[in-house]
Amino acid sequence: MTVVFGIFLLTLLLITAVAIVRTKNLFVAVMLMGIASLLIAANFFLLDAADVALTEAAVGAGISTVLFLGTLALTTERERAPTSRKILSFAVVSAAALVVIYATFDKPRFGSPDAPTQTHVAPWYLDKTREFIDIPNVVTAVLGSFRGYDTLGEVFVVFAAGIGVLFLLAGAPGGGKRPAPPGSDVGLSRHLIPRVVGRLLIPFILLFGLYVQFHGEYGPGGGFQAGAIVAAAIVLYALLEGEEKALQVIPRRVLLGLSAGGAILYGGVGVAGMLLGGNFLDYSVLADDPVKGQQTGILLIEAGVGLTVTGVLLSIFHAFAARGRQA
Amino acid sequence: MYYVVTLATLVTMALALARAVMGPTVYDRVLAVNMFGTKTVLLVSVIAFLFGRPDFIDLALAYALINFIGVFAVLEFFRTRAVRREADEGAGRR
Repeated sequence: MTVVFGIFLLTLLLITAVAIVRTKNLFVAVMLMGIASLLIAANFFLLDAADVALTEAAVGAGISTVLFLGTLALTTERERAPTSRKILSFAVVSAAALVVIYATFDKPRFGSPDAPTQTHVAPWYLDKTREFIDIPNVVTAVLGSFRGYDTLGEVFVVFAAGIGVLFLLAGAPGGGKRPAPPGSDVGLSRHLIPRVVGRLLIPFILLFGLYVQFHGEYGPGGGFQAGAIVAAAIVLYALLEGEEKALQVIPRRVLLGLSAGGAILYGGVGVAGMLLGGNFLDYSVLADDPVKGQQTGILLIEAGVGLTVTGVLLSIFHAFAARGRQA
Repeated sequence: MYYVVTLATLVTMALALARAVMGPTVYDRVLAVNMFGTKTVLLVSVIAFLFGRPDFIDLALAYALINFIGVFAVLEFFRTRAVRREADEGAGRR
């Protein structure tokens, strides 16, 4: 039955993707991208990948639509007519697609117990998590400890991406800004329903973000998801009260500090492990009991991930908003 | 029981998607996307019980809490655009 549901959702995803490509109105494309994100999250969930689904939910539902609309405010709403040769690109794409489809013939069947994913390292992770780290969520154990190097790399990639976007968009801060027309930067707080809903929900969203952050060892969640949820709460505040007000609450310098500080915290935990006599990112030496040390290390690096993701997402949001005011 | 509910939710999602793809106006699509989000919350909740993993309901909670932010962003987008257009027209006449 799961397969039927999965095929149904994937069919809807395919329809959405085709519609996104075909529409010339970019605003419609942004709306459909929201649906595509929801469909992908539902599909991940169907495949029992709750951590990934939560990441897609946190980013797709809150942040990505806001960022896409921020981009749209800087450009026009209509897609320009393509000038390149259509036949050539179509041929290249179909050739690549055929190669990929041909490659899938060699793959093991969906859910097959003989697949390399089930036989290679996964059994070892499932076995040893209890012994080495003793937390219920194996995903967090793999992400934070067994594969800590990869996650450190991911955090640095997020940080670098944020720096890249800031380089592209920031320009001269404050320079060339024309005085905003009266009433343009008040946000939605003058409207009753957004104001009431927002004020009621922002504390709960922040609370939920903290829950996701610190509950990652027991259920789906962790730094990436929590960072996106907390950023969504602040973005909601910015939409309600105006973006300037949100910058007064958390200034740009603090956001940059968060972005860099999270990555430094992660790396610092690794260096601390070295100083205490272990390997880089070996948390076992952080406490007297190796299992306790592992748990402490995972908690610390997840905090670092959360700080970086929040800082980078909000920096990007403010960069777009500031650019919109200058234009 | 859960299967029937899941199927019904999937059909509703398909209908919402049809409205989002066909339009015709922008407001149809905004409403369709919002409704699609609500249906995803329902689908995730039902499937969590179907699989016997009710702790996975966190995901539905995440959607329920932050899904409407996108709609607020759409409202703000149209509002600032209208304000800016007015300002531009005013500057043009002067």
